[in-house]
Amino acid sequence: MHIPDGFLSPQTYLPAYGAAAVAWVWAARGLRATLDEVTVPRLAMLTALAYGLGLIMLPLPGGTSGHAIGVALLALIFGVRAAFVAYTGVLVLQALLFGAGGITALAVNALALGLVGALAAVGVRRLCAPAGETFSVALAAFAAVLLPALLIAVVLGIQPLIARQADGAPQFFPFGLEITLPAVLLPHLFIGIGEAALTVLVWRYARRKKWVVA
Amino acid sequence: MGGGVNPARRWFLAYAAALVAASCVHLPALLAAALGIALVAAGRMRWQLLKRSLLALAVFNLSVSLGYTLVALWQQNFVAETLLLLNLRALLMVFLGFWLVSRIDLLALLAGWPTLSLCATLAIGQIRAYQRVLEEFRMAFASRNPQPPRLIDRARHAGTQGGALLDKSLTSAGEVALAMRSRGAFDA
Repeated sequence: MHIPDGFLSPQTYLPAYGAAAVAWVWAARGLRATLDEVTVPRLAMLTALAYGLGLIMLPLPGGTSGHAIGVALLALIFGVRAAFVAYTGVLVLQALLFGAGGITALAVNALALGLVGALAAVGVRRLCAPAGETFSVALAAFAAVLLPALLIAVVLGIQPLIARQADGAPQFFPFGLEITLPAVLLPHLFIGIGEAALTVLVWRYARRKKWVVA
Repeated sequence: MGGGVNPARRWFLAYAAALVAASCVHLPALLAAALGIALVAAGRMRWQLLKRSLLALAVFNLSVSLGYTLVALWQQNFVAETLLLLNLRALLMVFLGFWLVSRIDLLALLAGWPTLSLCATLAIGQIRAYQRVLEEFRMAFASRNPQPPRLIDRARHAGTQGGALLDKSLTSAGEVALAMRSRGAFDA
């Protein structure tokens, strides 16, 4: 669900870079201590999986795309900080190698998908843990898709209010919230279900390999 | 050895500045001129880069452009210049991105940040490992199925492929990590 280059005004992406910089410093701090020759290959493997999932995308009329994300998996197995840093790397590679997403939109995409997605996954998993492992992991993955989708839809939808020409024509993304909210959120309800199923499958793989405990 | 900012980072900073500049320009003619200059400066790679940029742009901007055209025509406030502005700006930005990647080594950008370099090296290695394994599986599946496979065969194949992909990828990442450890990559 990345936002591509050229859709966001500088009034949006420059402050977003400020916020993301703080979040990146926070995430990177202490990350090195958690990485060793056992966790790094796993992180690299799931990061590459997230990268691959993100490239199978369907353009949505709301100005973004629909695809699985994989950030819930990263967050549930490695924690929010590692997931945020790893997903930022995924977004940079997708932007520069495939033109999917973009560098001007990187901070917004990273904050929405990488940070909010990871926080949603970990938060929902903890809240719903008493309801059972499969249910809580599935719901965590669903939330990690839907919450970022909502944020992306709002950021896109406010662009016509933020940046207009003198004649009122939009300078950047042209649709308002009345279009972006349904256009982005409705397909992501279904994508969230797919992501939940995929996350449960890979989570079980991770359990079999004893990467995670219940 | 020369000091100062490494060349990859210098190119990246120039690219970032160009992106900010492009997003502050709202005249299609100026953006078209900038794209023209970038095309000339890109040298022999220009048409290949432009083709890739147009393909990437089509994925996102086509649906937005069509949507904008339909909605604006319906609301009777269609402005062709807006459509041109959106697409030219996005095309210029995507072109600059692909041009940058054709000029620099992405890992050189991370020089000086060992943890990020380590993760990026491994992740890029894994992406290549995935590509290789997927291609091998695709060819093996095609060779076993001279007739179009049934849905159940496809599902079974996808399941086996997924498991093998994760196992192979983990093994290869583990080997790389051990090699990096022997070279001191995990030393504090």
